[in-house]
Amino acid sequence: MRENLVQTGKTEKDGRKFIEYDWYARGIPPNVVLGENVYLDTSYGFEPFHSEREIGFRLGEASGAYNMASFIVGADGMVEVGSYTVLGGTFIVCNDSVTIGSHCLVAWGSVITDTWAGFENASIEKRREILRFAATNAQRRLLPVDTPRPVVLEDNVWVGFDAVILPGVTLGRGSIVGCKTIVTEDVPPYAIVVGNPARFIRYLQPDDTPEAIEEAFAEYRKQ
Amino acid sequence: MSSEQTPQLFYELKPGAILPGDWFPGKIPSNIEVGENTVLDSSICFKHYFSVLPVGLRAGSNVTFWRTSLAAEENAFIEIGDYTYIANASLVCSERISIGSRVLIAGGVTIADSDFHPLMPAARLADTIALSPVGNRRHRPSVSTKPVVIEDDVWIGYNATILKGVRVGTGAIVAPGALVINDVAPETEVAGNPARVVQGVR
Repeated sequence: MRENLVQTGKTEKDGRKFIEYDWYARGIPPNVVLGENVYLDTSYGFEPFHSEREIGFRLGEASGAYNMASFIVGADGMVEVGSYTVLGGTFIVCNDSVTIGSHCLVAWGSVITDTWAGFENASIEKRREILRFAATNAQRRLLPVDTPRPVVLEDNVWVGFDAVILPGVTLGRGSIVGCKTIVTEDVPPYAIVVGNPARFIRYLQPDDTPEAIEEAFAEYRKQ
Repeated sequence: MSSEQTPQLFYELKPGAILPGDWFPGKIPSNIEVGENTVLDSSICFKHYFSVLPVGLRAGSNVTFWRTSLAAEENAFIEIGDYTYIANASLVCSERISIGSRVLIAGGVTIADSDFHPLMPAARLADTIALSPVGNRRHRPSVSTKPVVIEDDVWIGYNATILKGVRVGTGAIVAPGALVINDVAPETEVAGNPARVVQGVR
């Protein structure tokens, strides 16, 4: 088992948590809830995390955020991640809700965002106003162009590197998004989509039955 | 960690500055000109900045650089207007990249004005030797470069790529993931790989 440095690190009085030997010194905000046996490479990913919700981020049991996985979360954002999920160098941009299930694999350079698509819906005047506001606040926050639309990744989804999952999208259970795919519409369960723009390839056999999951865990417990 | 101080989210960008609490042990180059209220998150933005021109970067006022790589070769010049916001993007510049005012560049974007390596096999082979640990970068064969121009009020989406010689016209939109190899007319939206003009609203 990978050593869990979050739980061996210290927690300050204000609830900010620190990872042992972290190269980045700001730590993890108090409204981030970490499950049992999670793994985080660094607190750097929480540098752009500004959620003011009571719980702004929940990382489930034995999930991990690796490399530069970063959470660009606004005041009203809530990110929920299930268990046994791998976030490898992913960018999550959230101003309302991003929900990622259990047993998901999300690769490097991918962006999952509930905000910021549909620039074309914003007038140039609106776009200028957003940039003027960013320059006047210390956190350099960008206000959303449109109302954010929640994004959902159901269980056992695989997202390839550099893919972009845009606002309002639900990726169905067991689906696969190929690398560099731009997803603008829902992906049905067990479907494979690839390309820019995304196109449907085929359906996979839904063989991740409760028995198969039980067997996978049984195999692990033997070790 | 370069110091015991907690890093700030943003620092004023000043020529020659050392940023207190910066997690990266770097320094801001002196050959830059910057307007007021222009900020960056860390000196790592300049890790690949090697311009030796009297001014290698000219940035206006109220600009935000966040996790931006300003990679500039020896004779490169990067120019940026006012209120432009560059988030987690890479500018890779051999000659000249000009970015206007009120431009938004989202995460994962790459803008490059060079092919980086020669086209023809023999020259490419020579390039691998010149770039190797035993080689000499001054002996590199010539590489094709062409300035990139991003005009005012352009917004560029996540993971888009803009390649050499491209001019993106005023107010245009580059959709997430687009690979742009041709000029983009003002006030249009392009998407896809290769990028094409799209109508319709997403």
